[in-house]
Amino acid sequence: MFDSSAHANPTRNRNRLQLALYLAFCVAIFAVPLFIDDDFLLNRYARYLVLGMVAMALSLSWGYAGILNLGQALSFGLGSYAMAMTLKLKTVPIHTGPDGLPDFMVWNNVETLPWFWVPYQSTAFAIFAGVAVPWALAAILGWFMFRGRITGVFVAIITLAILVVANLLVIDQQRYTGGFNGITDLAQLEILGLEFDAYSKSTYFLVASCLSVCLLGALAITRSKAGLIFQAIRDQEERVRFFGYDVAAYKIMAMSISAAIAGLAGMLYTVVMEFASPTFMDVPLSLSIVIWCAVGGRQSLLGATIGAIVVAGMQGALSESETFLDTWMLVMGLIFVLVVLFLPNGLAGLLDMAGRRLMRRPGALAGGPAPAKGLSGQKAKDQT
Amino acid sequence: MVMKRRDFIRGTAALGAVSTIAAPQLWFKNSGLARAQNGEIKVGVLFSLTGTTGIIEESLNKATILAIEEINAAGGINGMQIVPVVEDPASDPATFAEKARKLVMSDGCVSVFGSYTSASRKAVLPVFEKRENLYWYPTLYEGRECSKNVIYTGAVPNQQQDEFIPWLVQNFGKKFFLIGSNYIYPQEENNYCKKLLEGLGAEVVNEEYVPLGHSEFSSVISKIKSTEPNVIFSTVVGDSVVALHRQYLAAGLDPAKMPMASLTTSENEVAAMGGEAAAGHFTSAPYFMVHKSPENEKFVSAYQARWGADKVTHFVSEPSYFQVYLFKQAVEKLAASDITPPTIREAVKGAEMIAPQGKIRIEKDNLHTWLWPKIAVAKADGQFEVLVDSKEWLAPDPYAAYPDQKCVEAGLTNI
Repeated sequence: MFDSSAHANPTRNRNRLQLALYLAFCVAIFAVPLFIDDDFLLNRYARYLVLGMVAMALSLSWGYAGILNLGQALSFGLGSYAMAMTLKLKTVPIHTGPDGLPDFMVWNNVETLPWFWVPYQSTAFAIFAGVAVPWALAAILGWFMFRGRITGVFVAIITLAILVVANLLVIDQQRYTGGFNGITDLAQLEILGLEFDAYSKSTYFLVASCLSVCLLGALAITRSKAGLIFQAIRDQEERVRFFGYDVAAYKIMAMSISAAIAGLAGMLYTVVMEFASPTFMDVPLSLSIVIWCAVGGRQSLLGATIGAIVVAGMQGALSESETFLDTWMLVMGLIFVLVVLFLPNGLAGLLDMAGRRLMRRPGALAGGPAPAKGLSGQKAKDQT
Repeated sequence: MVMKRRDFIRGTAALGAVSTIAAPQLWFKNSGLARAQNGEIKVGVLFSLTGTTGIIEESLNKATILAIEEINAAGGINGMQIVPVVEDPASDPATFAEKARKLVMSDGCVSVFGSYTSASRKAVLPVFEKRENLYWYPTLYEGRECSKNVIYTGAVPNQQQDEFIPWLVQNFGKKFFLIGSNYIYPQEENNYCKKLLEGLGAEVVNEEYVPLGHSEFSSVISKIKSTEPNVIFSTVVGDSVVALHRQYLAAGLDPAKMPMASLTTSENEVAAMGGEAAAGHFTSAPYFMVHKSPENEKFVSAYQARWGADKVTHFVSEPSYFQVYLFKQAVEKLAASDITPPTIREAVKGAEMIAPQGKIRIEKDNLHTWLWPKIAVAKADGQFEVLVDSKEWLAPDPYAAYPDQKCVEAGLTNI
């Protein structure tokens, strides 16, 4: 079905250039700790990378499959709570009730650990659940929506509504969730004897590795047959259906993979921030994810990632400069307006324009870089 | 996509403008500053200036800044000026955590004054504990915390209720209706209230929790009407306080027969709801703006001269103000080379000073504050009238509702 020889050379060159860019980004984020030896900045950059990861996940479902999931923060929050639950059960005994009952349960007069908390005594289970629960929830939701051929703005409304309901539930059921305060006072994550202190290189590398794997994995998906069908659905859903494809199945796949990545990002967020809060599954965060995607360029995974990093970085820098302390929100708003007006495809769109100008010069990219090997391997797999 | 040269230039220009604003602060950070250098002492000020709790937290920021300016104008601390690093955490716990880390790890602050909500205090705690820094928290809260890295200058449940509840039972009767916002603070206050009521032989006719920000109290009002309590004990917070009072007034209930007794209604909330809706209801707190003392007159007039004659002071802004003076008093005892968060903490243990509310002391065991409980009734002019002024200061007991646990100098212990 997918025949690379049918593609003209410029496409292949473009693909190679794209892969080179993605790999360069991954190398760059791994190189950061070589130049920065400041715990605070490493922690801050790790946070930005996590936000980049969840924006990238949205780009996969929104930019590629046309599913505007306004409930992206729900998957993120579920992952975050999964990690917080297991770390909470490993805190210092004096701060908990009998048999390690979390402190907030004692305050709410809960006497025994609820059944759905019990498996979280195992970190391995929590890590599995942090990915599997968002994935399953998105798949079920997708099954109802896409089998019912719900599209466009209605998908956005439904996912947003589910997010609001989940958020209210978490705040309301404080005896099991910690409510408004979230789950705080956590132990440090420890996997196979490795400790992940939030302000250490180990945590930064953990986040950078997860982001790199997900970014390259998602890139592989977009280049696979399924990825092409995602894009075809985004551009003209009916046509894909007439070709005999099971549109709903592909959409469910896009949304649930995106949710799983967001869940993983949420788990990392708990490790980096050292707490989980209902604001991690709140509407403002969910809308921020959409904005990061739009600023970075939603049709580019790397663009969305960088969009989140740039916007979050600017937000931090602006609000910390004395000049903008009172006006930083206005300045952020102004920047968003400028981007929407002049860069409808985001930062990635700008790069794309630059790239095309470059391409127009003949032979500009002759002798593409070696990393294209991974790409052809991917193609070979698709053909089988 | 068709690309025009003009688009490209525009786009590049937009990106250029964006990155010039962002770049310098983003990439060049000064780190590892000495603690007290060049005759300066850096402290963090971490109250939201934007977002949902922005209005109330701004008043805490203003009280803190006022105190710092006064101390600096009077010559600083042993000749050193206090340099406040002000951050806006935007009412968001994650941003609170991020800014707290910046203040502690990057700016080298020896203390941070901040937080209104418990959620934000819990979010910043890890960095203060892991980095051995000191957080000064001015808000009344639910207690049950025993951190060695927080100085708590607001009231805990026993300081607001020990006098208040018996007084209410004596003056109005034994039937209590408990209403609170649904989060940990009202739950804990009510846990303690129920304990006190049991000891007094009083009863709880209903216990009700509404979601945070809730503004529709008609079903609550009808339950109040049907259960006919003597006292409505309210721990709703924020905008809900305003809505509850207004709807109580609109329903034609009478504060003389069935008053609301609140731990959370301050001059600030009264200003928002209007004096008419507040009149006749009671609040228990260590501080009211009308409190008569030379220190309070000085505080109120300085506050209004600095921030505007229409501004009110209240029971959270007063601790925000005096805790900076406690900080000054502690640092004064230390040599300039010895100013670190742990030495400040040791110096502040047992420290006493005359605050606007009266003479206060930091308890050395639990780092909470000895305060002066007061009971006041709201008036139609938006101010309170203090009815009962405690004759003695009251020791803080953050574990009052949990007799088998105690917070001592070594940490939390089981008894």
